Amino acid sequence: MLMDFIVVGLSIGLVYGLVALGISLIFSGLDIVHFAHGEFFMFGAFFGLVLYGDFGISYPITLFLAMIITGIMGVVIERVFYRRLTSQGGGYTVAGMGMIICGFGMAIILQNVAFLIWGAEGHAMGVQFGMPIAVGDITLPRSYLWILIVSVGLMAALHVLLKHTKTGLAIRAVAADKDIAYLMGINVPLMISLIFGLACGLAAVGGVLIGPINYVQVEMGYLMLIKAFAAAVVGGFGSLPGAILGGLLVGVFETLCAAYISGSHKDIYAFLLLIFVLMVRPTGLMGHLAKVKA
Amino acid sequence: MLEIRGVETGYGKLKILRGIDMKVDAKGIVALLGGNGTGKSTLLKAISGILPVWSGEILFDGEPIHAKHPHQIVRAGLVQVTQGKDSYPGMTVEENLMLGAYARNDKAAVREDLDKVYAFFPILKERRKQLSGLLSGGQVQMLVIGRGLMAAPKMVMLDEPSAALAPLVVLDIFKQINRIRKELGMTILIVEQNVRMALLLASYGYVIHDGRIHIEGQAEDMIHDDKVRHAYLGGTVAEAENVR
Repeated sequence: MLMDFIVVGLSIGLVYGLVALGISLIFSGLDIVHFAHGEFFMFGAFFGLVLYGDFGISYPITLFLAMIITGIMGVVIERVFYRRLTSQGGGYTVAGMGMIICGFGMAIILQNVAFLIWGAEGHAMGVQFGMPIAVGDITLPRSYLWILIVSVGLMAALHVLLKHTKTGLAIRAVAADKDIAYLMGINVPLMISLIFGLACGLAAVGGVLIGPINYVQVEMGYLMLIKAFAAAVVGGFGSLPGAILGGLLVGVFETLCAAYISGSHKDIYAFLLLIFVLMVRPTGLMGHLAKVKA
Repeated sequence: MLEIRGVETGYGKLKILRGIDMKVDAKGIVALLGGNGTGKSTLLKAISGILPVWSGEILFDGEPIHAKHPHQIVRAGLVQVTQGKDSYPGMTVEENLMLGAYARNDKAAVREDLDKVYAFFPILKERRKQLSGLLSGGQVQMLVIGRGLMAAPKMVMLDEPSAALAPLVVLDIFKQINRIRKELGMTILIVEQNVRMALLLASYGYVIHDGRIHIEGQAEDMIHDDKVRHAYLGGTVAEAENVR
């Protein structure tokens, strides 16, 4: 039983990790804290619902298309609404603080847009994966297997992109210092769009992965956002490996506590973990790595 | 090769440059001298395109570049070498160098230039897998110069290559800069506070003061010029005014 819970916790944790990765990417790349990120997770799930349910596209292609569409949606929103603020400076500047409010506002707007389109009720994605798989003592529903494979695959791909390609090098350069990146001949505004789109795409994949397990509904983004934030902070804000580690810890801790203590308080445990980690290590588990960005 | 005509710019409403006129001829070294807060770095930012130019024009190779984006100016062949502190300390030496070549797509030539940079600065090759934040001040200065060369520029602008370095190290860096000019036929604009070193290296010099070109002339004349000497070789600006 314990192993089952751990595997389930790891899967959910990977989804938290995907969304937290996006939050950390945006934080290091744009110097802003993006509070509407949960809504991109939610929109990703709805795009998945439409693509899979209404158009009958196969699940893997749905995953891919939802990622691309949400990524483009993110790029457009960043260009049209955020860029004016972020170009005035991020971080602890007035514009950076304005960005926090702007993010909350965008979250409310996106929620209401989704509400107008899809209504308030939960939609079942109804993906038929077939029978659960038994590995040793563990019986694992295939939906969780999908989460494991796709998330780990994406994280590995992101690692390769950032560490072993020219574009990745440019993304890291932009994250570390924009003015110097300009002097290297990097098209900084384009890279910022790419970073934002990538982050939104990752969140969308999380949404399509969670869709078959939970209902797809308008308010799913809000809870995901605060869990992913807890994950990002536990791991060390701005650190990409930290975001994944934080996601896994939050996922496993939450699932185990829900199983052995009380399932009705499931959403509290992530924050208990957050408070505990911050008491012991205020910078988060891998926070020291985030100080030197890139 | 580079021509600046009546350039004015600043930050917000604060005007820093009040009409700068300068010329840098091909294959030469020109020194831009001035103390702290005189507008040297602002001018570099304006040329590189990081700071928008309010009025006036900047021509590179006969083409106006003052309305272009920084990455387009790099692609045109005009590259600013940052100060040593502006390497990417969280990246390795080789990653830093490859970033310099970001705007290029000719992989084979980039490889060749990497070897060329390593030949100029063998210590960089020795430490290529280390984080650049671990290099000494002189090595970091070599790194940023090497990074500038990786862009295969027609002209480089060096931002205070002697900043925060020991005199012997400065001497070595300046020798290397001279070697780069000779062997690569590079056009160089060198922005410096170390007036004597810069004038020994350069053929022509400009002194910037309060956002204007204060003095200009042949480098050898300027070394013996009392005004320059008093302002920047030990004296204060106030003393220089007295001399005049």
